[in-house]
Formats: sequence, structure tokens, C-alpha cells
Amino acid sequence: MKKWSYHLCRLLLAGVFIYAGFLKGRDPVAFAGQVAAYQILPYAFNYLVAATLPFIELLCGVLLLLNRRVQPALLVLFGLNAAFMLALFSLVWRGLDIDCGCFHPGAEEGTGTSPLMALFRDAGLMLAILSVWVFRPKQAGEPLDE
Amino acid sequence: MSDRLLPSRRVLLEALVLVFFAVAVGLSLNYALVLRAFSGRTVVVKSASLNQPAQQFPQPVDYEELDDLLATGSRFIDARDAHLYADSHLPGAISLPLGEVDQRLEAFSAQVPRETSLILYCNGFGCPDSFDLGVRLIAEGYRQVKVYEGGFPEWRDRGRQLETVEKR
Repeated sequence: MKKWSYHLCRLLLAGVFIYAGFLKGRDPVAFAGQVAAYQILPYAFNYLVAATLPFIELLCGVLLLLNRRVQPALLVLFGLNAAFMLALFSLVWRGLDIDCGCFHPGAEEGTGTSPLMALFRDAGLMLAILSVWVFRPKQAGEPLDE
Repeated sequence: MSDRLLPSRRVLLEALVLVFFAVAVGLSLNYALVLRAFSGRTVVVKSASLNQPAQQFPQPVDYEELDDLLATGSRFIDARDAHLYADSHLPGAISLPLGEVDQRLEAFSAQVPRETSLILYCNGFGCPDSFDLGVRLIAEGYRQVKVYEGGFPEWRDRGRQLETVEKR
């Protein structure tokens, strides 16, 4: 059971973050606009985030997919997801109803995800991250518990 | 058991290396974009859905050009949603959200003569609404249409004056 939970959550996270990283990485200007809409960072730093964040997501997703360096990838995704949730919470707190820009930067108005929905989704991803961490094999390369 | 739930020093180090590597890749692929943004120069943004001749496009303007344009009678046009405009907008801006342009255009045309020089803005670089609105206004007969691509975030971050709509 642990083995299946581990692989299921690992592959789910890999798919989600490879997909998100790919969409954002291919259009960094549009993604910078989404980050700017959060009104958190000084304006030029939105570009720094847009230029680098998708590649962090992509690399972590690929490592999870290949089942290599799973722990460091999970640790990074835990930090990223916690930061996303804080940012989304600040949107809800400030009453800003923008598209979260989580997956599809530059999406048509009304087709994106609201901050509250994105917050719930990120909570689910956080649960998956913690599940993979808890159910991971005891040591790298060691056979999984049946 | 609790030791197993905490990351080891090796895992922390590997996570740092992972982030460093990904950031290096991202910066090497997007260095021109980041350099332009940090130097305050315009990042030209065009909506992918638009394939119109160049003369139909509004001209981009940098922050440094704004004061001169405003001094010669240009008006800010806010292409963001009406509630964002109500919260805070650039001085003297007129609200014309891209999503409501069909309903508001008649009233807008009555208020703003076609020969007025317009400076459109929205949520900064990467936000295509002001550009798309500019194309629409040019099609409606406005000839002096410019887009301030730094938009609301850049104006705010430079500490410039903002206005709000008085709530009743």
C-alpha cells in the first residue's frame, strides 16, 4: 500500500510540475504579468521570478518522474508550494480576484483559477508532497516495503 | 521515526544545488529579458492572438517619457478591471476595462475626443490588455494611442502619486 501511494503521488506531482513549468517557461513575459498582478514583488523582480521559477518546477518534476534525488526535489517543491500558498492567501486577504497564473500564463479572462480554488489545489499538492516524503523508501536504492 | 521525517544535511545541500542549477539555466535562457526589466527598458509585448499590420499597433512608451507626454495633454487610460481602478489608479486616468469595452465605448467616445493623445496601461509588463485595448481604440479612430508597458506596478513602485475612487 505504501509503495503504491508513494509512486502514485510521486507521478502525480511529476506530471503537475512538469506541465506547470513547461507552460510558464515557454512564455516568461506573460508569466511575469501574472506574477506582477499579485502586487507583492518590486516590478523588475517579477521578471526574475518568471525567468527562473518554471525551470525549478521542471527540474523537480523530472527528478520525481525519474525517481532520482526525490528528497531534495520534494524539499524544494515543499518550499515553493508553501510560498505559493502564502501568496494566494495574501490575494484572498486583500480581496484581489485575479487569475492565479499557476498553470496557463496569459489565459483568457474568466478561464483561469480563482485564488481560493488555487489555494485548495495547492493544499492538495502539499498533501501529496508530504505523502511522498513519508512513504518514501528507507534509503535510496533500497527495495520498497510491501 | 522523527529523524526520518526531517531532511538530512545532505538532502538540504542537494536541494540548494538543484535550485542553483535551475536558476542558472533559467537566467541563461532569459538573460536578455531580465536585463531589460532591471534596466527599466521596455519589454515589447504583443498579444499572440493579433496578426495585424504594424501601423495598427499602439506605440510603447517608457516611464521616462510619461511626464513630458502628460505635460502636453496626454491622458492615462486604465485597461484593468473596474474594481482595481476603484482601489487605485494613475492620476487623472479614465477607466476603460478591456472586458467591458463594448458597453463603455460610446460613453468613452463622448468623453474623450478622437484627437486626444492616450496612454494606456494595465498590470505592467506581460499584461496584454492595454495593448489589445490600444488596437481596438485605433480601430475606433483614435490616432495617438500609446501603451505604457510598465503600467500600474512600475508607477506604484517608483513611489508616484496614485488616486482612488471615493466610496460613497
